[in-house]
Amino acid sequence: MSITLACLFQVLMAHAQQTALDLDGRPVNPFTIAAGKVVVLVFLRQDCPVSSRYAPVIRRISAQYSREASFWLVYPDRSETPQSIRKYLGDYGYRLPALRDPDRALVQQARAEITPEAAVFDRNRQLVYHGRIDNWYLEFGRARPAPTTHELNNAIQAALTGKPLPQSSVKGVGCYISDLQ
Amino acid sequence: MNSWWRAWMRWTLVLAAAAGMGSVFSRANPRPREQARQTAPQVTFNRDIAPIIFGACASCHQPGEAGPFPLLTYEEVKRHARQIAEVTRARTMPPWLPEPQELRLADEMRLADAQIRTIQEWAEDGSVEGDPADLPPPPRPAEGWRLGKPDLILTAERPLVLAPTGTDTYWNFIFHVPITETRWVKAVEIHPGDKRYVHHANILVDRSRSSRHKEAEPGAGFGGMEIRIESQVFDPDSHMLFWKPGTVPSVEPDGMALRLDKGTDLILNTHMQPSGKTEIIQPSIGLYFTSKPATKFPMLLQLEDDAKLNIPPEQRNFVVTDEFTLPTDVELLAIYPHAHYLGKDIQAFATLPDGSKKTLIHILHWNLSWQAVYRYAQPVLLPKGTTIALRYVYDNSDENPLNPNHPPVRVKAGNRSSDEMCHLWLQVLPVNYDRAQGDPRMRLQEALARHDVANDPRDFEAHYNLAAMEQAKGRLDDATKEYEAALQLRPGDAVANNAMGAALLAAGRPEKAVPYLSQALKTRPDYLEAHYNLGTAYSAESDFEDAAQQLHLVLQLQPDDADAEANLGSALAEMGRFPEAKSHFERALQINPNHSLAKENLEELQRQMSDR
Repeated sequence: MSITLACLFQVLMAHAQQTALDLDGRPVNPFTIAAGKVVVLVFLRQDCPVSSRYAPVIRRISAQYSREASFWLVYPDRSETPQSIRKYLGDYGYRLPALRDPDRALVQQARAEITPEAAVFDRNRQLVYHGRIDNWYLEFGRARPAPTTHELNNAIQAALTGKPLPQSSVKGVGCYISDLQ
Repeated sequence: MNSWWRAWMRWTLVLAAAAGMGSVFSRANPRPREQARQTAPQVTFNRDIAPIIFGACASCHQPGEAGPFPLLTYEEVKRHARQIAEVTRARTMPPWLPEPQELRLADEMRLADAQIRTIQEWAEDGSVEGDPADLPPPPRPAEGWRLGKPDLILTAERPLVLAPTGTDTYWNFIFHVPITETRWVKAVEIHPGDKRYVHHANILVDRSRSSRHKEAEPGAGFGGMEIRIESQVFDPDSHMLFWKPGTVPSVEPDGMALRLDKGTDLILNTHMQPSGKTEIIQPSIGLYFTSKPATKFPMLLQLEDDAKLNIPPEQRNFVVTDEFTLPTDVELLAIYPHAHYLGKDIQAFATLPDGSKKTLIHILHWNLSWQAVYRYAQPVLLPKGTTIALRYVYDNSDENPLNPNHPPVRVKAGNRSSDEMCHLWLQVLPVNYDRAQGDPRMRLQEALARHDVANDPRDFEAHYNLAAMEQAKGRLDDATKEYEAALQLRPGDAVANNAMGAALLAAGRPEKAVPYLSQALKTRPDYLEAHYNLGTAYSAESDFEDAAQQLHLVLQLQPDDADAEANLGSALAEMGRFPEAKSHFERALQINPNHSLAKENLEELQRQMSDR
C-alpha cells in the first residue's frame, strides 16, 4: 500500500514539474482550459526583436479566431520574470494569457525551436502545425515589405476544417530556444 | 551691394559627414585557430570568442545602442550562440556590405573567415565558457556624447510617434540653429533617438530655410525618403554627416570645418522601422565648434542616371550604367551609393588617364537597410580625365523578396521608397588646381550639369543647375536659355521662375522679370526671395509703391532682413517719405551695423533732410 502511494506521488511530482506556469506561478494546462477549441501556442522572447515585431500580427490573428481558437503566449526563458512579462504584455498591447515554460514542457509538446514560433493543436490535441507565423522575415535584419504566405492562418484553418496541410512544419527566422539556459 | 541672385542647387539628399563608421573598440585580433588548438583543444568564450565579440559586435550590442540585445558577458552571448553562428556565417552581421577591395575603406566591419569558423566551432561544441583568466576586459560603455560635451545641443522640437506596425517610416526633423554669427563646425554627433529603431540618419544643411514650408505646422517635421534642399548661392554641400548603427562620430581634419551661418537649418533625414509597439523617437544633435575656418573645400558630386530607370516587371537583371569624366584633379574622400529595394549588385569604378582601373565600391548584395557612407582609409587621388563609372543591377521580379510590388509592376525613378534610384555620391576635394581659373568646384558642378542634360534633356534639375552655373559666371543669356528649358518642363515651378526673374533682373530687364516673379509667388505665396526680387524689379521700374509693398511682405516673413530694410528705405525715400525711410535705414543698421547701402543712403537722406 505504502509503495503504491510513493509511486503515485512520484508520478504527480513529475507531472507537476512538466507544466507551464501562469504569471502567478500556478501550474496551467492550456489544453484542459481550452476544451473544445483549437489551441494555438505562440513562443516569444523579450530580447528577440523578431518576436516583438510580430506583436501586431499575433494580436490580429488571435482576435480574428477568438471564438474558435484559444491563444497562449509562451515564454520559455527561465530568466524572464512574471513582472517583466507583464510589462512586456502591456507595452505591446497584448490581451492574451501568458505562460512561463521554464521546464520546456510546452516547447517539447509543440516541438518549438525558435521564437517567434507558433504551434497549432486541433480539438483532439493533435499537433497540426509548428513553425513560422508567415514568411515576413527572410533572415535576420531582412524582411519583406509584407508577407506573401500565411502559415499560421492556414494551420488554424486546417485545424478547424480537418483539411490536411501541405507542410506540418516550416522553419522560421528567430532566436533559438536551445541557446537558453 | 544687394545680392539679388537667389539661385537654387539640387543637392538632393546631401549627406555631409563628420561621421565615420565602425566600432569604438579596436578590431578583434583572435589567435589563429592552429595556435589555439595546440594549447587547448576546445574553443572557449573567454579566450577565443570574447575578443571577437567585444571588438566587432559590442559597440552596438550594449544597452542604449542599436543592437537589440547586449553582448557583453558570457551569459548574454551564450543566449544567442546559434543565432550568432548563423548571422556571422551568412555575413549578415556585423552589417558590412562592400566586398573586399584594393582601395581600403575606413572602419571596416568585416570578420575574417577564421573568426567566423571559430564562432561556428564554439556554438557547435556546446558554447563553453573557459578559463576566467583568459577573459579580456569588456569594452568601455558608450554612454552620452562620445566626443565630450557638445558646444551646442539641438533636440527635435516634436518627437515622432512611430506606429507599432506598417512599412518603414522616413521622417525629417528640422533643427533651427540658434547662432547669431557664423560658426565653424569641426564635428557633429547625431543621436538619432532610440537607436534600436532608427536605421540610418543623415543631416542636410539647409542654408535658406527652404524646407520649413514642408511642415504642416512649425516644428512638426515632414515625411519623405528623399528630400532636396534649395540653395541661394553657389555653396555646394561638402560633408557627409551620416549616422548608422555602430557609427562613431569623428572630428574633421584641420581646415575642413563645416560653415554654419545664422539662420541655417539642419535637416535630419531618418529611416525607421516599426518595433511592434508604439515608439517615441526624438533625435538630438551635438555640434562641436572650432575657431579655425575652413581652408579646404570638399564637395559632394552626385552621379545619377534616373532617366534610364524604367524597369519592366519580371526583369531580373536590369542594368544601368553611367560615366562622368573629371574636369579637374580631386582626392576622393568618401563614397555613398544609393538605390532602393530593387537594387541588387552595385558597383562603381574609376578609369584613370593611364588606363588603370580601380574599384571604388562593390556591393554584391545591396540592402537598403544597411546603406552607409564609406570613407576611404586614405584619400584616393583621381587626376583630371579620370572617368568614374557606375553599374547598378536591379531585380524587379517576384524572386526579389524585397520587391515592394507583388505582383511586380513597371518601376521608374522617384522619391518614394516604392520607386527606384540610381545615385552615387562622392565626397571629393579638388587638388592641384589653378586659382586663376576660378573655383574648381564650379567647374565640377558645371561639368556634372552638362553631363546630366546630355543624359536626359528632360531633366529639369539638370537644366536648372546648368543655368545657375552660367548665371554665376555672368553668362546671363546662356542662363536664361537654360532656365527657359527648365520652365518648359515645369512651367509653374516657383524656384525656377524666381531664378529666371533674378537672372533677368541681373541682365537689366526688370520688365521681363516681373511675370516670372509673379508666377513664382502664385505657386508659393510665402516665397520670401521672390517677394524680395519682385520688390527690386518694381524699384527698377520706378514703381516704388508696389516695391514697398513687396518689401513689407519680406519683412513680415523675415523681420531681421537687413537688405530688405535697406531697400524698403530706398523705395520710401524715392517717394519722398523721408521719416519712414530713415527709420528703415536705421533698422537695417541695427541688424547689420556694416550695411554699406543703408549707411550711404542714411547719410544722403540726412543731408537732404537738413537741406530742406
